[in-house]
Amino acid sequence: MDAERNELIRGLEEKARRIRVYVVRIAGMSDCHTGGSMSIAEVLAALYFHVMKVDPKNPKWEGRDYFILSKGHCVPGLDAALAMRGFFPEEMLTTHLERDSFITGHACARLTPGIDASTGSLGHGLSIGVGAALGVRMDKAPNRVFVLLGDGELQEGSNWEAAMAAGHHGLDHLVAIVDRNWYQTGQTEKMMRLEPLADKWKAFGWAVRTIGGHNMAEVLATLEAVPFEAGRPSAIIAHTVKGKGVKSIETHHMARFDGVKLAAALKELGEPVAETTHG
Amino acid sequence: MAKSFSEILLELARKDERICGVSCDCWGFLAPLAKEFPLRSIEVGIAEQNLIGVAAGLALRGKIPFAIGMNPFVTMRCFEQIRTDLGYGARNVKVVGGYGGGIMYAGWGCTHHAVEEVALMRLIPTMTVLMPADAYETEQAVRAAAATEGPFFISLAGGVLHGARPESERSFAVGKAVMLRDGHAATVIAVGYTVAEAIKAGDMLAAKGIHVRVLNMHTVKPIDQDAILRAARETPLLITLEEHTVVGGLGGAVAEVLADAGAGIPLKRLGIQDVFAVMSGSRQDFRDRLGICAEAVVKEVLKSVSQH
Repeated sequence: MDAERNELIRGLEEKARRIRVYVVRIAGMSDCHTGGSMSIAEVLAALYFHVMKVDPKNPKWEGRDYFILSKGHCVPGLDAALAMRGFFPEEMLTTHLERDSFITGHACARLTPGIDASTGSLGHGLSIGVGAALGVRMDKAPNRVFVLLGDGELQEGSNWEAAMAAGHHGLDHLVAIVDRNWYQTGQTEKMMRLEPLADKWKAFGWAVRTIGGHNMAEVLATLEAVPFEAGRPSAIIAHTVKGKGVKSIETHHMARFDGVKLAAALKELGEPVAETTHG
Repeated sequence: MAKSFSEILLELARKDERICGVSCDCWGFLAPLAKEFPLRSIEVGIAEQNLIGVAAGLALRGKIPFAIGMNPFVTMRCFEQIRTDLGYGARNVKVVGGYGGGIMYAGWGCTHHAVEEVALMRLIPTMTVLMPADAYETEQAVRAAAATEGPFFISLAGGVLHGARPESERSFAVGKAVMLRDGHAATVIAVGYTVAEAIKAGDMLAAKGIHVRVLNMHTVKPIDQDAILRAARETPLLITLEEHTVVGGLGGAVAEVLADAGAGIPLKRLGIQDVFAVMSGSRQDFRDRLGICAEAVVKEVLKSVSQH
C-alpha cells in the first residue's frame, strides 16, 4: 500500500517536473509568466493526473470537475498540464503566442481545449467558481469546482464578495487553492499585506488548510481530503516559491531564456539538454 | 393583462429547468421563483461584481441565469465582469436592470442615474441591448432573451412606467423598430422610458397639422439600420430622445448608422448633453430642464419645418 502510494507520488512529481520543463521551453521562445506558472506545478499535476475527473476526449463532459485558473496569466503551466493529460498534442505548447495558435498569453476558454473560463483580469475566477458550484447544486450532481488563485490577486475586492457568497451558501463542493508564493510584481506583504490570510478565509466561513505547495504527498493528501468540513467551502493555502525549479528566476514574475540560459534551466530541471535549440 | 417580470421568469423556469435567477439585493423580483424553485433562486447580496461572475459560472454549468440588479449599479460597478465574463466569455446570461433606469431617481442624485447604461452595454460585442417600452414589450423581451443564446441586457425601466399599448398595435421582434405613428416632417426615435414622450410630441404636432414618424427602438443593439435609413430617406430630420447621455447611447448609435451609410441628414440628439444632472426635482422636472420631453421635440420639429 505504502509502496503504491509512493509510486503515485513519484509519478505526480515527475508530472510536475515536466510541467516546469514546458514552462521553461515556452520562456525559451517568448516572454512567459514563468514565476506563477512554476509555483503551481505540483497542484496542477495532482489535480489533472489524480484528483479531478476530466475527459480529454470530451473537454465539456458534464460529469467533469471544473477547474478555473483565476490567475489566468499562469496559463503556460495549465496548458502544459492539459497537453500532457491528452487534451491536445504536446507539440502545440511551443507555439505560444504564434499566429493561429491556441497557446495564448492568458487563459482562453474559447481557443484552448480543456480550459473552463477565460481569465487574465484578476479577481474574476472565484465568482465564476461559486456560480458553477451553485449550478452543480441545482442539478444535485457530484461535480466539484476547483479555483486556483494567486496571492497578490486577493487584493482585488471581488474575491471577497465571492468568498462571502461561498461561505453563506455553504458550497462544500467548491475548493479555492491560493498559490501563496509571496510575490506579485514585488513582495506581496510589502505592497499590500494579506496576512493573516488563513484567518480571513475562516472568517468568511471556509474550512482552511495551509500546506507546503511543493510537497506532493501533502498536496495530494489535502486535495483528496476535500471537503474538509460538510457544509463549508474548502480553502487551501499552498505555500510555494515563485519560479520554483530554476534558481536564477525565483521570485521573478516573468522571464525569457536565450539558448544558453535555456539549456542551463532545462538542465537544472533534470531535462536532457541535447535536444534544445540555440539562437 | 401583461405579466410582471417575476411572473414571466417563473413561467419560463417551469418550462425550462436551466432558467434560474440571481439577485443583487433585488430579492423581490425572484420571490415567486424562489417559492417554487428555492435552489434556482440565488441572492448574492449587494455585490454586483459577484452577481455577474456567479451568473457566468452558472452559465458555464449550462444554466440560463437572469442576473438582476439596479440599472446604474448593474451596468457600471461590474462593467468589466459583463464585458469579460459574459461578452468575451460568451456566456448565456441575461443581465436585467430591475429599476432605476435613466433618470428615474431624478432628485435622489447622480449616483442613482443610469445614463451611461446603453452606451456601456452597447460597447460589448455579441451583447443584445433591449429597452422595452411597456409591459407587453418587457414580457416579449424576457421571452426572447431566454430563447436566444448569448448575453442580453434588458432594462425594465420602460415597462414599469407606461401601460400596455392596445392589443391590435402589438408586435415585437428583437432588432426591429416599431413604427408608432407615420409622417414626413421628421422622425422621432425613442427607447423605453421616452417612447411615451415621443408619442405625446407626435400628438401635439398633429394638432398643428404637422405629422412626424415615431419609431420605438426597443432594441438598441443590434439596431434596426433599415428603419433608420428609411427614415433618413423619407423624412428631412431625425430626432433621438433618451434619458441618457447623447454620447454613445441611442443618439450615438443612430449617428453611427447615418454616418456609415453616408446619409448626411440633420440629426438632433435630445438627451443629457454631456453633463452630470446635478439638481433637485421630480423626474418630469429633470426631463423639462434637460430637454428630454415632448415640448423639446416639438420645438425642434417646428424649427425644421420653418426652415423648409
